[in-house]
Amino acid sequence: MHPLIFITGVTSLGLLFALQDWIGSRFWNYHVNLFLLMEAWGAQFFIWGVLCWILWWTLRPQISNASIKTILLFFLPLSFFACVLEETIWVLLFPRLPMGKPPMPFLQRLSFNLDAELVGSLLIFWAAFFLFRGLGYYQRFREKERMATQLKSQLVQAQMRALRMQLNPHFLFNTMNGISSLMRTDVAAADLMLEQLSRLLRITLHRGDAQFIPLSDEMEFIEMYLAMQDRRFAGRVRQEMKVDPRLLDAIVPTMILQPIVENAYRHGLSRLTSAVGVLSIEASFVGSKLRLSVTNSGTGLHPAAPKNGIGKGVGLANVQDRLQMHYGDDHTFSISEIGDNQVQVVMTLPLHFAGRPTENTTGYGA
Amino acid sequence: MIQAVLADDEVLARQKLRQLLREIPEIEVVGEGATAAETIDLVKATKPDLLYLDVRMPDMDGFDIVGELSAAGPTMPSIIFTTAYDRYALRAFEIHAVDYLLKPFTLERFRSATQRALEQIKANRQNPHSDAPKSPNGTPYTTRIVFKSKGRILFLPVSEICWIGAEENYVRICTQSETHLLRETMTHLEEKLDPNLFLRVHRSSIVNLSYVKEVRPEVDGEYGVHLLNGQKIPMSRSYRSRIKNWLER
Repeated sequence: MHPLIFITGVTSLGLLFALQDWIGSRFWNYHVNLFLLMEAWGAQFFIWGVLCWILWWTLRPQISNASIKTILLFFLPLSFFACVLEETIWVLLFPRLPMGKPPMPFLQRLSFNLDAELVGSLLIFWAAFFLFRGLGYYQRFREKERMATQLKSQLVQAQMRALRMQLNPHFLFNTMNGISSLMRTDVAAADLMLEQLSRLLRITLHRGDAQFIPLSDEMEFIEMYLAMQDRRFAGRVRQEMKVDPRLLDAIVPTMILQPIVENAYRHGLSRLTSAVGVLSIEASFVGSKLRLSVTNSGTGLHPAAPKNGIGKGVGLANVQDRLQMHYGDDHTFSISEIGDNQVQVVMTLPLHFAGRPTENTTGYGA
Repeated sequence: MIQAVLADDEVLARQKLRQLLREIPEIEVVGEGATAAETIDLVKATKPDLLYLDVRMPDMDGFDIVGELSAAGPTMPSIIFTTAYDRYALRAFEIHAVDYLLKPFTLERFRSATQRALEQIKANRQNPHSDAPKSPNGTPYTTRIVFKSKGRILFLPVSEICWIGAEENYVRICTQSETHLLRETMTHLEEKLDPNLFLRVHRSSIVNLSYVKEVRPEVDGEYGVHLLNGQKIPMSRSYRSRIKNWLER
């Protein structure tokens, strides 16, 4: 609220009182100067307006959050102080008032006015106090509502993104192209690749739009993804996976590893020409956190790419966005070169465990 | 000669089965059904040994067909389900289907399913009423496990399991070519398996005795179980007497 609007509003209120006073006097056949009344009332409310504005300006959070104790111990004394202050200023401004009385020394006038107006002044103070408090509540309510709407739209966006992330369309089309190529040369291999792709799709569809899945599911998906990559790289990449079994039920954001693994292939392992590359994926405890790391040999980070996290490609940026959205600052993500042209992506996430899995598809019998 | 009927409402799907079966000379395809009604009539007329059955047919589903057939007479063909849906797997397992092929399946997967069916059909012909060994509480030991792994449904005969390792709330089932992670406890699994075939050698491992090559003392004085494929599984002291009993048989 703009101070000018507030103070003008309060002053106008004062002018209205003046008008009422004047009409009242006319009714009782007293003749009072309207301008003097206006001046006096207007000044009084103007002073109140300024005082209240200063209060609002300096004590806004305290006014909104004050407990009963604070109200009694701080604002109650403050209200008396404010009344005296206002009255003092007013009395200083209008030495000729009250009218119809012999001139009085300053203190006497002050005590006379206080006597006459203390209750009214207190009323003004507390009315302003509760008005501000109400405004505070209202603003916070609006803020909360705005946040909720924002979160909701972010969630929708994240879901859409997550859905899009589930199977990178490029991966899908490249694989199909691979199948199309194999169809002419190696029917059995094309057959196998098609089956593997279907399995990946089946798992992806089965997950629906779940934002979180157990690590065991994520690793299963990665295993299948790696099996397909293995075929493309014809054994030139050694794949190592080390998962602490106690973490198998830990829940992680869906598809959090795949973009990183894909990145490892695209920017590292695929550029290896002679040596056998190594891709290693690990999941371990770090204190009470879950640490996921993907390490690959290859060409190292591109020298032109800054290492502070900018320009790491859409895939990794997407992973980071999702981590930020899910965990806020309660996570870490880093990508670094760890000697000998090895690149390592490390994430630490808060550790949460899933409840019992919802479906059981295991059966025993003859 | 083993006679088979193919049931699928899609002509390309039937064509695929026919083509794949050309490579298995033991099997003769005696007919194709595109609807449930057609399939039922065909099976009743030809009495095949083996039925490749799609779960979703336009008029009835595959299980209705099975129900209809078993109501009609005691001679039921062995059934291999071929379907795009994974959610009927447990039901298929319960009605003793030989296998459950999720479309699209590979030639390899198809062959192993068919091979399994052939063995079963032959075994049934020779010895129609063989019973599986029973566990102490009277239920027969499991001979197959059905589970979902890496986007497939597997009806895994326990004879193909080399060993099983515990991983907290999961067990890892290792066959000669693959490993599968299952949410299951060792104790529960141990109860299901025939103790004449499987032995718990450690708190966290069960081995299939038919894959055991030897049991050897290690440098640290402990014993290790060596499998035919060269894998070594540690054995704990408390379980050593068990394997001794087995070795001395």
